[in-house]
Amino acid sequence: MTIEEQIRDIVARISRVDKSIITRESTFKDIKADSLDVVQALVAVEELFEIEIPDEVAQKFQNFGDFVSYVESKVAKAEKV
Amino acid sequence: MSLEGKLALVTGGGRGIGKAIGLKLASQGADVIVNFFRHRDAALETAKEIEALGVKAEIIRANVGDAAKIDEMFDTIGSKFGRLDIFINNAASGVGRPALELDSKAWEWTMNINARALLLCAQRAARLMEGRGGKVVSISSLGSSFVLPNYTVVGVSKAALEALTRYLAIELAAQNICVNTVAASAVETEALKFYFKEGLAKDSHYVTPVGRMVTPEDVANVVAFLCSEEAFMIRGQIIVVDGGTSVGLFATAGKGGE
Repeated sequence: MTIEEQIRDIVARISRVDKSIITRESTFKDIKADSLDVVQALVAVEELFEIEIPDEVAQKFQNFGDFVSYVESKVAKAEKV
Repeated sequence: MSLEGKLALVTGGGRGIGKAIGLKLASQGADVIVNFFRHRDAALETAKEIEALGVKAEIIRANVGDAAKIDEMFDTIGSKFGRLDIFINNAASGVGRPALELDSKAWEWTMNINARALLLCAQRAARLMEGRGGKVVSISSLGSSFVLPNYTVVGVSKAALEALTRYLAIELAAQNICVNTVAASAVETEALKFYFKEGLAKDSHYVTPVGRMVTPEDVANVVAFLCSEEAFMIRGQIIVVDGGTSVGLFATAGKGGE
């Protein structure tokens, strides 16, 4: 399972939507995720990948793709260390 | 007041009020365990500042809204230190919505972190304080007694925390564990900036009759006093730190936004 698929599963579960509607272009608003959904998704992703996503960074995510790209880059960096 | 040789755990201790409390307790000689949830860098920085005061500091990650994580945290503290003298229940979260827009998810999230965590942590802390006594101090807000805009579930959770403070104080009195809460008006922290940003508050509303806002240090000073032996006979109380805001409500009505 790719990082993107794992994050999609988490976001779909927390926002209670079908994962098929979540594309890289989807905004949190598109998938009707409220601020608590976003926090819970961040927490779940942080715990799964053992990374940290600062609030200042998360607030700049324009869409699901930004979220995935950031996590992919953090995971890649962590693997290098 | 000296807390030399005491071991304190501060939940949400990396930033804001929790950080100020950790530093204050450290300045009086206590070793401090800084609990954090999502902001490790802030917790590490706080631990560094605490150690610079000549005491020991540790950081420990746990979401206090999650019962299993609370158990893990206390298991770790138990096996590493085998004791705890001071437990500061400071971590808080919340969803800013009017009552009619709250769903059960927002309710549970807020209640679990703000109210249930005190129960679960106090149960575990009391075991680590057995035979030695201890202090449990929580942080509440004026929203427990007064209506603040979109503060519904946070206010309710703080009211539950305050009620629990009284029950725990009586139940734990015989074990020489002092349980109290400090309730503050709006405190200058990152969390408050979030409320401003969300349009839930205007900063001018939070200037107290004293002429300034409450600072984290104002709260920490009272928490440190409650952790001292001088406060031994204060039990189950909610000590308000608000620059007189709550008692001056009628005197200042209509002047807040000027």
